[in-house]
Amino acid sequence: MAIWEDPFQKLSEDLKTTLRPQREWVAGRGLFLLLGHFLSGAGAGTWLFSIYYGLAAGLMLSLGVVALGGVAHLLFLGRFGRAWRIVRQPHKSWISRGLLSMALFLVCGTAYLLLERIGAVSGALGGVLLLLSLVGMAGILLYKGFVYAVSRAIPFWNTPLLPALYIAYGVRGGAAILLVAAALGVGGVELSSLEFIKLWVVVSSAVLVLIYLAGMSSSGVASRRSVSQLLGLRGSASLAFYLGVMLLGLVVPIGMGLFSHYGTVLPWVLGLVGVSSLIGDFYVKYCVARAGIYLPLSGEFPAR
Amino acid sequence: MRYVMVIDLKRCIGCYGCQIACKSENATPPGVFWARVLKQEAGKFPNVRRSSLPLLCMHCQDPACQQVCPTGATTKSDNGIVEVDSDECVGCRYCMMACPYGARYFNAKERSYFGQGLNEYEKVGYPNHPTGVVGKCDFCRHRLEKKLEPACVANCMARARYFGDVDDPNSEVSHLIREKRGQQLHPELGTDPSVYYLPA
Ligand code: SF4
Ligand code: SF4
Repeated sequence: MAIWEDPFQKLSEDLKTTLRPQREWVAGRGLFLLLGHFLSGAGAGTWLFSIYYGLAAGLMLSLGVVALGGVAHLLFLGRFGRAWRIVRQPHKSWISRGLLSMALFLVCGTAYLLLERIGAVSGALGGVLLLLSLVGMAGILLYKGFVYAVSRAIPFWNTPLLPALYIAYGVRGGAAILLVAAALGVGGVELSSLEFIKLWVVVSSAVLVLIYLAGMSSSGVASRRSVSQLLGLRGSASLAFYLGVMLLGLVVPIGMGLFSHYGTVLPWVLGLVGVSSLIGDFYVKYCVARAGIYLPLSGEFPAR
Repeated sequence: MRYVMVIDLKRCIGCYGCQIACKSENATPPGVFWARVLKQEAGKFPNVRRSSLPLLCMHCQDPACQQVCPTGATTKSDNGIVEVDSDECVGCRYCMMACPYGARYFNAKERSYFGQGLNEYEKVGYPNHPTGVVGKCDFCRHRLEKKLEPACVANCMARARYFGDVDDPNSEVSHLIREKRGQQLHPELGTDPSVYYLPA
């Protein structure tokens, strides 16, 4: 099934299968949700590094990317005119928490940036805004993994490893965006140290991916089917996994990261590595969503 | 009071009568099945066995769908019925990811069954199914208000379905669950469904 197709096309087939795939959060307009998750995570990561390196251009970029992520989230909704209602249940719903984090981040981050522009960021107000923007940023990095992880209906998602994986991918996405920005001429980025930090985050994310898949391949029947969708050569997401997640998202960034650590690499090459890493970030979100399989019902026929 | 449904799998003949009765009663659009029947084949020739599992919203007492809903559109009434307020729903479909029983449907756009615009029946029924939101079985709330059983129960020709108040220890459903060992689907998830199955 092509990813832009309406999940309706496959519905009657899906309803008959024992291991039913989820499609609403990946196919058709579901792509907007994945884009939203990807952009908001990478944007939040960009904020983290921009604060660390004191990069005003990076801060602006971060706000823009998170705002785009927010728009993508809205475009996914069936009724985006009612989107404000999403903030009503932060005591129980991770989507509510995510939207509130995004709003807090965008408002406080913008105010902080404005203060910085007029040179008034060192006061108490600047400190409070910075703190609140960091709380919003942390919320954005955290919520996506938990949105998936609380679903007991889809065992492949129902693991505490997923939030850790999404945080790692958000952080490395931020570093990748700054590498691309540096290649495009945004000054002030300390390329060698940024690439070094990114290398470590990419290696950590590779380890997390491996632990995640190893854990899931020894779990129940639905999780095993999910893993085979990624690893099996005829799996529905295997091409995306091998090319997007493994090659572009892990092998290229790790290889080039090691190379640049021990040799000299031109900024534009690092920019390309950043693009490759970002493609990998998107595909990890795509693959996790695409491999989501519901707990079987027919295997559960009550019998004496 | 807590409404429950009991489905006797020994009596169920897998005729899809409940699925059609629900469609007809609730005028659900194409691609929306508030009640459906899942078939399963087991064993090896010549010892094969075909069984049917009628499914609908389980009206869980600890509903996973309600726990994740960010708008509060999904609620549970005092009588145990879990409902979706389509005026509150934003169509985020988080409830569909959380429901372990495949009970929810997203009505993406208006679709007619016969391809040339809506027929008279669809024109009457479809306003109850707004697009861009999620819907599901409500135990035929409109029939319960008239003291009628849900359509799937009333129309089951094999009399495989029973409906009643499980809080009343003398009700038929209470007796059946107690004496015929009624089972819930995926009890390990802690959702406490209000649909019980009597073993085949
Ligand atoms: S069956 Fe699904 S939709 Fe129905 S109450 Fe339970 S969790 Fe909610
Ligand atoms: S789709 Fe509607 S009912 Fe379901 S979780 Fe979102 S707002 Fe709630």
